[in-house]
Amino acid sequence: MGPLVINEIISENTNLFLAFIIGIGFGFVLESSGFSSSRKLAGVFYGYDTVVLKVFFTGAITCMLGLLFFSLFGWIDLNLVYVNPTYLTSAVVGGIIMGAGFIIGGFCPGTSFCGAAIGKLDAMVFVVGLFLGVLIFGLGYNLWDGLYMAKNLGAPKISESLGMSDGIFALILILIALAMFTAGEWAEKKFPREEY
Amino acid sequence: MKPRILLALFIIPLGLIIAAVPQNTTKPYKLTAGEMLSEANTRTQFVTPETVADMIVNKDPLLRLIDVRSQEEFEKFSLSGAINIPLADILSDQYVDILNQDVKMNIFYSNGTLNANEAWMITRQLGYSNNYVLEGGINYWFDAILNPQKPASTSSDEEFAKYDFRRSAGQALGGGAVQAEQNKASTTAKPVITAGPKKKKASGGC
Repeated sequence: MGPLVINEIISENTNLFLAFIIGIGFGFVLESSGFSSSRKLAGVFYGYDTVVLKVFFTGAITCMLGLLFFSLFGWIDLNLVYVNPTYLTSAVVGGIIMGAGFIIGGFCPGTSFCGAAIGKLDAMVFVVGLFLGVLIFGLGYNLWDGLYMAKNLGAPKISESLGMSDGIFALILILIALAMFTAGEWAEKKFPREEY
Repeated sequence: MKPRILLALFIIPLGLIIAAVPQNTTKPYKLTAGEMLSEANTRTQFVTPETVADMIVNKDPLLRLIDVRSQEEFEKFSLSGAINIPLADILSDQYVDILNQDVKMNIFYSNGTLNANEAWMITRQLGYSNNYVLEGGINYWFDAILNPQKPASTSSDEEFAKYDFRRSAGQALGGGAVQAEQNKASTTAKPVITAGPKKKKASGGC
């Protein structure tokens, strides 16, 4: 809802309310697609189920194409879209911690709340762990704020660093995604599991 | 047909189109005349000399004073720490990073308010935010901060408090002594934009 907030078309509170509604919708779709099962996410690592990869990659591609076409038609100003700043060190360290958490716990933050909402014990334990992590990070902030804030690259775009236009990078990313989907389906055949 | 093939048939042509068309870099964001008028009427772009003096004295890292007068005038006298962007050059590409950002508080000033307000209107029309105008300009700055008049003995306590603040701020800022010459070197030097407080936004992910 970035451009709407910046241009004061909607207030900060309306923004939060809309986020709440969208969040409920997101949770509902996650649950109804079976994402609240920890085996689904772990399946990406073991290769027997790559639905998570396909869903999120398709989501990213749809969003990317939508933004680029909206910008082409003059419906959205991409300069007003907020881009999270890149802190290289914390992105790498956080990626490792989060990735390990995915495999060990079988949930990502979103799906763990879905699982907890329908009463799954492993998801509830995961949520407790999530809050413990938040507490440790918050209380020990002084210990790792140097690491956390290191190597701020601003908001770079991969297309800019590679010196190509956004459109060409989008096409390349689409081809990469399709190649990964093919690899995913190959893995599902190669490492099948009867019941999970 | 497999969903994957179907998806490929749909998104590859879209990808080809988006790769082939030129990137849209136009900025559709513009204020209408009516919106501009209502913004100008609210006068929220004005910052009082007291606020600016307070920020200078406290060395507020977010403050950036921008002198929109000509370079000669800027070299004769400028407020401490100000940089010079003459009004005539305000649309120059080299100043975009300074004027279009969401970290610092840019405050335009000129001799009176007119030129600074013009600079504000132009940047506002471009969709930039965080640009403000020093109320009254330098002329008023001299009267209010560097050379405040003692209020009449019948004035309210508020007037005296204001006078005391102005006097102490004026003393901290050189008490009427014109700070010439010192900013000559900074006319060409671009200010280093330091990272300000980070926006607290919900991060993405699943």
